[in-house]
Amino acid sequence: MILAFDFNLFFDQTMNGVASGVIFSSIALAIVLIYRTTGLLNFAQGEMALFSTFITYKLAVDVGLPIAVAVVASAVIGFVGGAVIERVLIRPVEGAHNPLNVVIVTLGLFLAINALAALIFIKPGQEALRMPELFPAGEVLGIQKETVGFAFVLVLECVLLFLLLQKTKLGLALRGVASNPESSKLVGINTGTMLMVGWGLAAAVGAVGGSLAAMQGSGFDTSLMQTVLVFGFAAAALGGFDSLIGAVVGGLIVGIANAWTVQYVDALEGIELVVPFALILLVLLIRPNGLFGRTIVERV
Amino acid sequence: MQRQRTGRKVMLTMAALALVVTSCGRSDDNSGSSSNSNNGTSADSGSSTDGAFAVDTADCPDNGTDGISGDTITLASSFPQSGLTAAFAQISKGYKAYFAQVNDAGGVEVAGKKYKIEVVDKDDEYNAAKTSANINELVGNDGSKAFAVFNVVGTANNIAIRQDLGENCVPNLFAATGSPAWGNPDYPWLVGSTLAPYTVEAVAFADYLKENDPSAKVAMLVQNDDYGKAYEEGFKQAIDGTDITVTKVAKYTAGANDVAAPVTELAATGADVFFNGSTLLACPNALQKATEANWTRAHTFVSGTCISKTLMGLAGKDADGVIAYTNTIDPANPAYADSEALATYKDTLEKFGDADVDPENGIVAYGYTQAAVLVKVLEESPELTRSAVLDTMRNIDISDQMGMLVDGVTLKMSADDAYLAENVQTIQYKYVSDTEAYFENVGDILDFEGKTKDITPEDLING
Repeated sequence: MILAFDFNLFFDQTMNGVASGVIFSSIALAIVLIYRTTGLLNFAQGEMALFSTFITYKLAVDVGLPIAVAVVASAVIGFVGGAVIERVLIRPVEGAHNPLNVVIVTLGLFLAINALAALIFIKPGQEALRMPELFPAGEVLGIQKETVGFAFVLVLECVLLFLLLQKTKLGLALRGVASNPESSKLVGINTGTMLMVGWGLAAAVGAVGGSLAAMQGSGFDTSLMQTVLVFGFAAAALGGFDSLIGAVVGGLIVGIANAWTVQYVDALEGIELVVPFALILLVLLIRPNGLFGRTIVERV
Repeated sequence: MQRQRTGRKVMLTMAALALVVTSCGRSDDNSGSSSNSNNGTSADSGSSTDGAFAVDTADCPDNGTDGISGDTITLASSFPQSGLTAAFAQISKGYKAYFAQVNDAGGVEVAGKKYKIEVVDKDDEYNAAKTSANINELVGNDGSKAFAVFNVVGTANNIAIRQDLGENCVPNLFAATGSPAWGNPDYPWLVGSTLAPYTVEAVAFADYLKENDPSAKVAMLVQNDDYGKAYEEGFKQAIDGTDITVTKVAKYTAGANDVAAPVTELAATGADVFFNGSTLLACPNALQKATEANWTRAHTFVSGTCISKTLMGLAGKDADGVIAYTNTIDPANPAYADSEALATYKDTLEKFGDADVDPENGIVAYGYTQAAVLVKVLEESPELTRSAVLDTMRNIDISDQMGMLVDGVTLKMSADDAYLAENVQTIQYKYVSDTEAYFENVGDILDFEGKTKDITPEDLING
């Protein structure tokens, strides 16, 4: 490696990292969206995305919708589902003013949604399914077309979210609730509705992320989001739990670091998970709020 | 604000915890699809004057006929029926259909009397702790509720129950994975199934290369555990002294599906042979990535745990031409269209199987085969006691075609041979279209009868 550094190989591995990083980013985005509006981490984010992924599959394969339409439709259904979960399962336990209650509920949802997805969508002898591809096979400039396509979807999501949060009244209200719930209430914002919208948005973003993740491999099963969620949390922690751009950058860093580790650090073979953890530790030591997180100012 | 800060710390701690929890997902070598196998005999617990195995019952409780009530033999089993590995539940569809057929014809005749076979089972979600609890409940702490344990899926799962069952002298038959550990002489009551040991697959492929590509450069992808170690060490030992070289062994974490980076790494080593020892979704993903990486290969091996219709179907044309090893017939192989074994199998499933069972799923054929062999063992047993059945099993010597075994596969065990099925058929995947693809037989049966002990590193057997 010192004698002759293989740049092509380095490039290929970096692109492997980008390909998985894009998926981590999209789940990190969903995690951040909920954290920003509610100050909570949703541990069921990955499994909610899994459920939506199965819906995408059903719409595309059984109903016969074009895959792009199926993904969008699944995001819309995911939005409704996320909002309903917030209203029906999260809000009743939120009143106790202990954030742990909600965290426990999301952990329960993690298990419940996974089991439910298996029950509803998995037929005996058909435990893994092949998701129709949104982007064609092949390469452009040495990069898989699929990776380019996924990156495009991610950018599109970010632009839409930016416009929504910064340029619309709804976005203003969402940001208001996130930064100061009590004052928002006083100026007449319906905080409850905003929380529902926050959960819905996160679920919609997750639905897209899950669907892309399912296209990436040869097939998917109910384990699809389990490692992705781990890396998604790592990405969100790295970027700062309240920064959308941080989630995207964090996801890419984690993905690329992971691929480089596989290629260049033989000592960590089979335990690559150590790398994102080490990165998080390092970043949190130097910047406790993550790379892009806002510092909380204390006023006495 | 102080409160909010504390909240954030709690959040981060919970996040870290969740990462740990979710990263401990599933693992392992499934037993599945069809090709692997094994099991164990005893050096010190059997007396072997003429190579015949006889289990030492000196420390056994007086329970040799427990689990038989009237004319019913009760067998207990535990396997995943929900969750990620629920695919393995299909094994039971095969053996239950076979037992139902035997029962319908009056039962199995042991020492002049006919018995019905009943299987009681519980879902363990592939979790070894649950397997242990299930088997305790179904067999009873004293081993009085079931005659024998049958077809428990998973290596760790069988290891979790082998001590207790051994102490109670309850046979644990047809342990459904290809772990070479079933040859451990300390656990004579545990016997593997017809799955050939993983090391046999590795050595068979090494032999294939010696003949077809004697200076092959091989890149290996294996799981980072004992299952991967069996492939790696078995293969390396087999190519020792030849011109075949291993360019790189890449390991991936059990449960990880994304193996793009390790496959890219392997492709870059200039190897012309890909030894794909991965399982579950990692296996078709690895084949897909090898194509994407434009990896030109002369030969590709896939694990016997990857040859199920589902996994190979996902790989599709990326799997065209891959080599694997098995000893059961692929029900989708058109070469068997006129085979009597296949006709009987399909007929049995139609009359006695569940309505939703897919006869073309090789894992169903595997389960059916285990039942056929067990019935044969019971018929040959001189009396219906636990030790007599175990001894009969461990002295089995069958060369007739059984169940869905490929014709020519022999089943042989003795005091010196603790592995049930050690010969395998080389098979090659033929992809015609997304709806038509199957494994074809290549060449004759490869005979490793009695050799598993020699080709397997000792720590994998006794470790």
